[in-house]
Order: sequence, then C-alpha cells, then structure tokens
Amino acid sequence: MALHRLTLRLRPTVTHVRSVHTSRYGRQQEAAAVDPEPEPISVFRTQENDPACQSEKQIGQFYTLPSEHIRLLFPHGLPKRYQQQVKTFNEACVMVRQPALEVISYMKKADYSQPALRYLFYGVTGSGKTMSLCHAVHFCYTQGWVVLHIPDAHLWVKNCKELLPSSYNSSRFDQPLQATAWLRNFKITNERFLSKIKIKHRYVWTKRESTEGGRPLGELVDQGISRVKSSSDVVAAVMKELRQQSGHPEGNFRLAVAVDGVNALWGKSTIKKEDKSAVDPEELTLVYNLRKLLKNDWIGGAIITTLSQTGSLYTSKSAYLPQELLGERGFDSMDPFIPLSVPNYSEKEFESCYLYYTDRNWLQHSQSGTEEGKKELIFLSNRNPTMFDRLCSFL
Amino acid sequence: MNFVPFGIRSYWVKMATHSSKALFCVGRTSFSYIGLSKSTSRVSYATALSVNNSHRNKGPSDKNGRFPRRPKREPGEPRTEKMAPDQDWTSVYPAATPFRPNSVPLPVRMGFPVKGGVPPQKKGNLELIKIPNFLHLTPAAIRKHCEALKPFCTEWPSALDTDPKCDERFPVKIESREFVSAGPSIRNPAARVVQLSIKLSSLNLDDHARKKMLKLVGERYCRDTDVLTIRADSCPLRQQNYDYAMYLLTVLYHESWKIEAWEAEKTVADMEEYMWEDSPSQRNIVELLMRMKVSEGDGQEVREQLLERRDVQEYKDSVTRLKNEGESESSMLQYKEAVKKVLNV
Repeated sequence: MALHRLTLRLRPTVTHVRSVHTSRYGRQQEAAAVDPEPEPISVFRTQENDPACQSEKQIGQFYTLPSEHIRLLFPHGLPKRYQQQVKTFNEACVMVRQPALEVISYMKKADYSQPALRYLFYGVTGSGKTMSLCHAVHFCYTQGWVVLHIPDAHLWVKNCKELLPSSYNSSRFDQPLQATAWLRNFKITNERFLSKIKIKHRYVWTKRESTEGGRPLGELVDQGISRVKSSSDVVAAVMKELRQQSGHPEGNFRLAVAVDGVNALWGKSTIKKEDKSAVDPEELTLVYNLRKLLKNDWIGGAIITTLSQTGSLYTSKSAYLPQELLGERGFDSMDPFIPLSVPNYSEKEFESCYLYYTDRNWLQHSQSGTEEGKKELIFLSNRNPTMFDRLCSFL
Repeated sequence: MNFVPFGIRSYWVKMATHSSKALFCVGRTSFSYIGLSKSTSRVSYATALSVNNSHRNKGPSDKNGRFPRRPKREPGEPRTEKMAPDQDWTSVYPAATPFRPNSVPLPVRMGFPVKGGVPPQKKGNLELIKIPNFLHLTPAAIRKHCEALKPFCTEWPSALDTDPKCDERFPVKIESREFVSAGPSIRNPAARVVQLSIKLSSLNLDDHARKKMLKLVGERYCRDTDVLTIRADSCPLRQQNYDYAMYLLTVLYHESWKIEAWEAEKTVADMEEYMWEDSPSQRNIVELLMRMKVSEGDGQEVREQLLERRDVQEYKDSVTRLKNEGESESSMLQYKEAVKKVLNV
C-alpha cells in the first residue's frame, strides 16, 4: 500500500488513539530517521486477505478485498453506502466478524455430496448482515465456486416497470428488465465458468431460435441478454441447469446461492396487475424459480441468505427475527436452516472500526479523538455499524 | 404600613394558629387586614399585629342607614381549641359531612401556592370543602361499624380456611353489587349485573371439549389464571341475570362435549397451537434425511424410524417452541443447535 499511510504500533488502544494524531505530524521528522518498516503493523488490520485462512484471531480486524475481486464479484452485491466508502477510501476493507467466520467454517467442513445447507443471517437493521453475506460469498469465489448472487430480492417484487405475461406459463408474469440486469451481472461474476459448463436440455425460445443441449452456458446467458423478452425464462433455465449439474462429477463445480432479503420471496409485492389486484410473488417467474432453487433438493453447494427489513414491504420496522420477517410460508419453506445472529459491534469490533476511520482520516471533528468523543459516538450509535457509519460521515 | 386584603394573594409564612387570633379582627366582610412588616427579604412576613380598623369597616350599607344591621356577634373560639387529643373522633364526624375547618384540629393547607408562598390555609378554603373527605372513616369508626354489624352476621365455616379449599368445594363464584345512596329512589340499575367466574380445571373437559369451549367463550377466558368469567347484565333483575348466567354455563359445558359433523373440516389455520405431526416442517426434515441417505431403504417403517431418532425429537421440540411461544434469541439458539445436530454440521 502507499507509503503515506500511517504506521501504527501495537500499543494499548487509548494511547493508540493519541499516537495517531501525534505521529501524523511527527512522521515527517521520523521518516528520515526511522528505517521504513516492510509492512505497517496495526491493531485493526490483518494481512490475511484470504477468507479461507481467517480464524477467530482476526475477529474485529479489517482485511482488504482486492480490487479485481470487487469488480468481478460484486458488480451489484455490495451495499450502496459501502460502495461509496470504497470509492472514498480507495480500498475495500471488510471486517472479519464471527457470524461470517462461522458460515465459512461450516462450509469448509460440509460434505458436498449431501443436499445443500441453508444459512440465514438475521439481526437488527444495520447490524452487518449484507456485509457478512458478501464476506461468505468472497470465500466461495476464492474457492472457485460458481456464485449466484441476488443482491436484493426486494427489487424483484416492487417498482416493476414492465410486467409481461410469461410465455412459458400463462399464469405467471415476467420481468424482463430485472432479469436482463441480473444476467449481465451474473455474466461478469462467473465469466470463467460460462464456457466450461455445458447445458443439458434443449430450450426453444421462438419458432426460429433455440439452444441445443451441449452448448456452453455462456450462449444461454447471451441469449437472455440480447433477447430481452425471454430473459426471465433464460434466468429460470440457468438456475435449473446449475442446480442440476452442481456437485456432480461432470459439472465439476460447486454452486453458491446468495440471496439478500430472502423474506421478499414470501412476502407481499406492490406490483399490480392490470385490474389493480396485487400480484402474489409466486406468480412472478423470477421469484418462482428462485424459490425452487432455494429448496435443498440439490447437492454440491451452499445457500446463504439474509433477512432484510429495510426494503421489505408491509413489515414493521422493529421486526428482525426470522419468523416475523419470513412469515409462516417462508419459514416452512426454509426449514430446516441454520440461523445465524448478526449482532451489533462488540467493544473490540467497535474499537477497530473507530481506529480504521481515524486512520483513514474520516473523523475530522476535533472532539473525535478524545475519550468523551468516543463515548458519545458509542452512545449515539449503540455500536450499530450503519448508525456509526452515518454518524461519522457527518464528523 | 401596607394593607393587603386577605382574600387576594397574601404572603404568609408559617402562621401558627394561635397567632391567627389577632388577625381575625373585625371586619364586616370576609376581609381581614394584616400588617406587612417591612422586612429585608422579598417575602413579606405577617406580623401578629392586629390593626385597628374596626372603626373603618362599616361597609357600604351603613352609609344609607336604610338597612340597619344587627350588631354583629364576634365568632367565638373555634371548636378545635377545646378538643382534647384523646377525644372520641367518631362523634365529631359520625357521618360523611363536608369539611369544617373549625372542627378539624389539623393545620392542613390546600391549593396552589402563591408565588414565593405556601398553599392557603384551611380557613375559608373552598378547595378543602369541595373534595370528598374520609374523616368519618377512621379505623376507630370502622371498628365501631363492624361491631355494630356483627350481630347480623354468621360465622365463616372454619373448615374453609384456605383459598384452594374454597375453590375445591365452591368452584362457581357469583359476584354482584349492592348500591346504597341517599336519594329519592332506592333502586340502582347497576345492581342487576351478575358476574360468574369458574376455573376451567374444575370442569370435567377432555381435550376436544376444552378446545371447543375456549373457542366458544373467546375473550371471556383468561389464560394466566384459567378463569372463565361470564358477565350477565341483559335482564332487568338480578335474579334473572343469575339464572341466565347459570344457564349459559350449563349450555357451554354440554355443547363443548358434543362433536358436530362439520368439526371434521377443521383446518390447520383453525388450530390453536402448532402441532408438529403432519406439518410441513416434519415433511421437510424427513425428506431431507431420506435424501441424505442416513438410513437404508425407503418406506413407511424407515420414515417412522427416522422420526424416533433423538436429534429429530430435539428438532421437533425446538420448532414447536418457536412456533408456539414466539421467537426470542434463546429459542433461535435452541433451533440452531437442533438443526446442526440433525444435519451433522
């Protein structure tokens, strides 16, 4: 990393904070005298950038996501605010936290000839569920899995500008715009697999167009991107192919399905049909096929999901537990799953995040370096990651 | 000396009652004048100095001479002076009467305090007269009432000394109210209300009968105390309401034991609590275990064997707890542990 970054010694955190401000000015004098250290050691950063090698020792520390990975893996997956932060800080640092580590450890131990396990992150608004999901997805990507990442399932059940009756099944509805957007991002993420995976079945799109079995998956995806009208069916076909082939020896890949805001699939939608009656999410092709994918009847992969109250429709703001957000039908469909609670920052994690912001010179307020300032931040944000981030952006 | 009329805000600081005597000086109207000492503090203190205004305050009526007034008598000592501490209070206030400041030997103050002052004293205090007082209900008075009522009462049965014994022998409790008030009529329409309460555990109900009874009574049942309360007030007389309440209880009991033909159509949505048997959760877990090929073969016996397993039982308990009791961190943790065990994670 650039040499202009601060070098922080491993000291108790109180003196640590003060040393940030003093050393910033003293650094210029010191730089000449002190021989440059090979790597800056800091309390809140870790050099272990590979999620597979991270362990409990790194809990609370930030690891850096390589920018290549971000461009490929998360064209649409990261939260909006985090993307802005990445742009501002010129680096993407993710905190290693316990729920994500737990999922990664389960995935390492799992037997991939058994049906896929389902993991569900739940927690209060802004506690870091989406980031934990992204952390787990990064692990899958580094392990060479195919990543099927739906960034926010809520986007599929609201604000739909175009709703077409499905050509495949007349009782369902297509959403061409959302489907094409998703296919594009899917292509960016899984570029390397598109030529390797071959589809099994034959798909007929129109009288003249069809995709034969044996063609690479990339062709199917291109078909969906170019022919917008049939893109929802293409999505369905892609999901089916991946589901059937993952884990089997000829497919030779593992599939990670990551859905953020999975409670949208069983909730209500605001899309209205022409006669102003509400559309049930089940009647949407995308949602219907995603639900099929979330069932654990396929092998060789993992399903990681999060709940999200923020985008959800007709749920109360204080609801965060799985049953409240998923509802009866959702819970029965997702059952049995492994719920993982994502709490607010612990003291150590908060400390780490605070140091990171200070390191990035994000906290400009004169009081932010003091003990009272820190206590005030803790009090105001209740150690909630999102609240802390929003507060600091004002300082 | 400044004179401030008493009726408007006056500045008092802790006037002992004996010194007030000097200030109840003559005045035709209710005004009495006090002297304000020119003391250093902002709060003015009242001096126990009477002002000789007697000659001033003849009142307007004297001007004409048309309505000669009787020479006014001086009010005598208030009765409070003559009260001994060990007097019989029940004879001072034998019944509910308004507050009489000269009969109550307590230096009470009531009202909104003036700025920098204290609440007004009891003499002439309308606030004290307006409110209900319980001076006629001192413990001594109540004791006397009870003694007077004792000849009309019967002895409580000595065998029924604890609540559980009463509940066992007399499970049905009837509550009704009597009203006594001074007025032209002795009738009170609120006296017709009869409330019947009974614990459902004292009724002989089996599982189906209990569920049906709970559905029939709805809100009248309290889950925490297991008490069914029937309130009857639709008839004009208490006797009629009592009969109606007893009739309702009888009918409820017999109806809940009957099984109708249409009760067979009870759906999952009608169920009071979650039952794991035949639920989607059970189907899911069984199918999953079959797919995981935990045990060989297929068929009904294999499925039953799967259900017998300990970890499946734990899973069943955790799901039932989640659904029936609602969610909490602890129940989610229990569910998570159970799922991990079943799936061998």
